[in-house]
Amino acid sequence: MSRRLTSIAVTFGRSLPGRFTSRLRSERVAAKLGMWLGISFTVAFATGLFSHFTQHPPAWLLWPSRPVNLYRVTQGLHVIGGIATVPLLLAKLWTVYPKLWQWPPFRSAGHAAERLFVLLLVAGALFQLVTGLLNIAYTYPWPFGFVQAHYWTAFIVYGALVIHAVNEWSKVRRHLWVRVEDPDRRRFLGTVAAACGVAALVTVGEAVTPLRGLAVLAPRDPDAGPQGVPVNRSAVAAGVTVAPGDPAYRLVVTGAVRTELSLAYADLAALPQHTVRLPIACVEGWSVECEWTGVRLRDLITRAGAAPDAFLTVESLERSGYYRTSEVRPPHWNDPLTLLALKLNGRTLDPDHGYPVRLIAPNRPGVMQTKWIGTVRVA
Amino acid sequence: MRWVLYAAGAALVGLGFTGLFLDSAPIGWALWFGGVAVAHDGILAPVVLLIGLALRRTGRAARAAAIVAGTVTLATLPTVLALGRRTDNPSILPLDYVRNLLLLLGLLALAALAPRLWNAVRPKRGGRTPEPSDPDR
Repeated sequence: MSRRLTSIAVTFGRSLPGRFTSRLRSERVAAKLGMWLGISFTVAFATGLFSHFTQHPPAWLLWPSRPVNLYRVTQGLHVIGGIATVPLLLAKLWTVYPKLWQWPPFRSAGHAAERLFVLLLVAGALFQLVTGLLNIAYTYPWPFGFVQAHYWTAFIVYGALVIHAVNEWSKVRRHLWVRVEDPDRRRFLGTVAAACGVAALVTVGEAVTPLRGLAVLAPRDPDAGPQGVPVNRSAVAAGVTVAPGDPAYRLVVTGAVRTELSLAYADLAALPQHTVRLPIACVEGWSVECEWTGVRLRDLITRAGAAPDAFLTVESLERSGYYRTSEVRPPHWNDPLTLLALKLNGRTLDPDHGYPVRLIAPNRPGVMQTKWIGTVRVA
Repeated sequence: MRWVLYAAGAALVGLGFTGLFLDSAPIGWALWFGGVAVAHDGILAPVVLLIGLALRRTGRAARAAAIVAGTVTLATLPTVLALGRRTDNPSILPLDYVRNLLLLLGLLALAALAPRLWNAVRPKRGGRTPEPSDPDR
């Protein structure tokens, strides 16, 4: 009996690939979707690496502080591009799904190795999109750190992608510049492209402010938040409470300086104030340009007397937290746009935006625009 | 050239695994890595095939709308579910996403029905052969 069942199962299994009858699953359709995915994952890998090394630069690496919106653009591409890749990846996997059930599963050692790397590519691509989508929605149902897992998995995905592209190169070359003639297949590709477009359109307004009205399914609304600006970490979450006009508050500039500074809030407000327009650009992809008013960091460091190539560390009043401190390297702190801001859009900073003082600098991720600053350490 | 690229790809994969072992939680990671592949190949893909069978007799526009609706819903599902809301920070997930998704799906349904509605209201003109619907054919 069990033998009969087994033989039925095996017969069914062997017949499976033939049971997928849709004409849309052609090699050319798979090749076109594969090329688009290759471009999309290359953009995601490059922008992801840029974001990583912006936040964790090796000692020799001095990122420029311009163009002002560079990080805003690359991270917007990373996140909105990732969202738009979901229909693309699902369509591609649908197109090649019958190959999952090919028989025999492995024709040779080389074929087994090829399929192993395809498994890494498929699982890794799904993993990156699933974890990325959940992360921008502030949902973390996994037992690992998102940043480390998303970062290292990217290397697995991209390595497997390179190997897959080499294996499929002859097919890609055959189809690269050839039009898909079959109208049903053309419509299918058009539909997938439309789905990618719709996914981008309903989210991109969280990064491209003029399209904010379309951002109906984005995790952020660029107008929603204290003072009309979104916040990632609230003062309550950070455990920081500085009452307005707290006489005990001091901003201390210390370390490798000629004169240590210790400034009360009123002292900071009495220094020459500058107003700049800079974006707050979050690693989670949303961004919005604001008007910031405050003291130039460069002026403060000059007043304390430090070398122009000094490395600064700004330290928050938070007692703990992964982003309690951030490093400000010479290109950034020498930039006249870099402020220790006291005001946002013309009004005193809300506690959630970092009252009494926060850092705001061009071309820099939001998590490194340290809030509630108590100390600037010069090294 | 082929083997240079194979070596580069394998090196990237190796780097990724090394980093995960040293820097992450390998067992939890492996569960999720395998889990998403099994969830796609074992659950999502068969469900999509069944939906495809169910929609076999519908028109092109309905099938296209179903593809857009399904994939865009999946692409925005974590936001729509909004499990990440926090009381201390109302700027996170501030919108009524269920309503917005339903509106979007409604628009897509309307787009899918548009050709039929158009055919229904279009004044019938006798004696002329209809234009071929598809210039590619």
